Amino acid sequence: MSRAELPATSTIAITSGRGRSRQARLEMRWGFLMVAPMLIGFSIFFLIALGSSLILGFTEWKMVESPHWIGFQNYRDVLRDPDFRTAMVNTFAIAIPHVILRITIGLSLAIALNSKIRFRTFYRVVFFLPVVTMPVAIGTIWKWLYDPGFGPINGFLGRVGLPQPEWLTDRWWAVVAVVIVLLWSGVGYDMIIFLAGLQAIPRDYYDAAALDGASGWQQFRDITLPLLTPTTFFLTVIGIIYSLQVFDLVYVMTRIGEVNQLPTVVYFIYDEGFRNFRMGYAISVAWVLLIIILIFTLIQFRLQKRWVNY
Amino acid sequence: MTTHRPLGFSIRRIALHGLLITIGIIFMLPFIWSISTSLKPMNELFAVRPHLIPNTIRWENYSDVFENIPFLRIYINSIIVTIFRTIGQVAIASVAAFAFSQLRFPGRDVIFVALLAGLMVPDQVLIVPRFIIMREFGWFDTYQGLIIPLIFSSFGVFMIRQYFLGIPRDFHEAAKLEGANPLQIYWQIYMPLARPALAAFGFLALLASWNEFFWGLTVTSSMDMRVIPVGLALFQGQYFTNNAVLMAAANLATFPLLIVFLFFQKQLVEGVALSGLK
Repeated sequence: MSRAELPATSTIAITSGRGRSRQARLEMRWGFLMVAPMLIGFSIFFLIALGSSLILGFTEWKMVESPHWIGFQNYRDVLRDPDFRTAMVNTFAIAIPHVILRITIGLSLAIALNSKIRFRTFYRVVFFLPVVTMPVAIGTIWKWLYDPGFGPINGFLGRVGLPQPEWLTDRWWAVVAVVIVLLWSGVGYDMIIFLAGLQAIPRDYYDAAALDGASGWQQFRDITLPLLTPTTFFLTVIGIIYSLQVFDLVYVMTRIGEVNQLPTVVYFIYDEGFRNFRMGYAISVAWVLLIIILIFTLIQFRLQKRWVNY
Repeated sequence: MTTHRPLGFSIRRIALHGLLITIGIIFMLPFIWSISTSLKPMNELFAVRPHLIPNTIRWENYSDVFENIPFLRIYINSIIVTIFRTIGQVAIASVAAFAFSQLRFPGRDVIFVALLAGLMVPDQVLIVPRFIIMREFGWFDTYQGLIIPLIFSSFGVFMIRQYFLGIPRDFHEAAKLEGANPLQIYWQIYMPLARPALAAFGFLALLASWNEFFWGLTVTSSMDMRVIPVGLALFQGQYFTNNAVLMAAANLATFPLLIVFLFFQKQLVEGVALSGLK
């Protein structure tokens, strides 16, 4: 696009082939030099790590002696391991309601704040604030809020005459508790992304629909929702990837002594690798998680043709 | 563009405000409750009917945080580690992003796609080999170990490259004619122009680094090398037996970033929205 305005460069390039190749070589050298730091880091901490991980997944390795090859044994064990199954069930029990509610609430808040309402910046900040908090710290705080005897949540439930559950020690209540914290600290993010999506929808569409006599609900159903589907799709994909990797929260919230009431898959990986020192086994679990994440992402990309409008 | 609205409309507005304020208060309650708890004396913690406002305020809970464990050292560790990781990520990613978006060299697109593909791989797959690499390098339980593996951000390369691509190429060509080399063009032209993207990515890097837990947990072992999230997770129940002190520690961990965020919220929220990715 700028070539026409800058005849000088193109003249040089055309007239002297040698000068051009010298310049190209120089540019190439700069190019390599500038990506070098990233490339070195990526090679060591990604490529080499990934290769070693792939190999170590096929070994038994307890850190003290050197690893020995056992083929697919780890993977066979993982699929039969009842503890892995529990971790998997816990992870999905958290992930599914979390993703659905997070998108629903995030979208509702975005729509409420998309109108020309007063104090919208203030509301936006309030709902977004929990997003910038440290998971370990908010897990610590919420653990205290959920305290069955002295926490304010059960205090409130007791006052209004509702049952007071043992939030973090009962497995299913713990799922509810963790999902609530994830929502509290996550809906603000979805709200911001949805707000950006809403603002990209041209005003004219609504004006035209209103002229045709479409009600608010019809406008929402026939304009807003379809035009937001790329945003919804994006948030669903990253929401699932994110919630299949929950670790920090269950580490602080649901552990009593050394036993976790609600181990997730990543917690299970940590436990096997860094506490039981079954490194090969821990790695194979991580690969199973990777494959599950890939399958879910692929399914979503497949399904997107049915409901996402670009 | 103020027009007079019919009464029914304003009632709906008030209802909406009422709803938003209610949700807002619920959103703020955990913060308020943790501040309140952090200022309570021990005997008020275990009241049958806990009060929001403490009867007596005990500021000493905050100094008690630093009593049994080297929390100051841990705090400083977190600051050091966060600063270096953030600067490292922004510097390395932006310089690579410049090369990927502005320069021609063989293998450029293949390398870029490889970096992007790397984003699909969850860290858990890599954590054990990285841990072993750290031991081989002699970086276990050191600052290098905490910092260096986390300064290479493919996501940063992607995000900054997108922004660089939106800058008209005339700037580049003009500087080239003046005899500037790529490093000068990057530093003097592209970096200043990309300030919004750099700020947004820088904040995300800062946030991720300050809050990072799993790597800090695995790559350190001595109390003196812990970072805040790790210290907070490991020492509760053991050293922080008083819940008021524990809440004080949790508040000290979250407040710095909340304050940074409140100061720059407009730019940061817009940056997050524009990047469309976390």
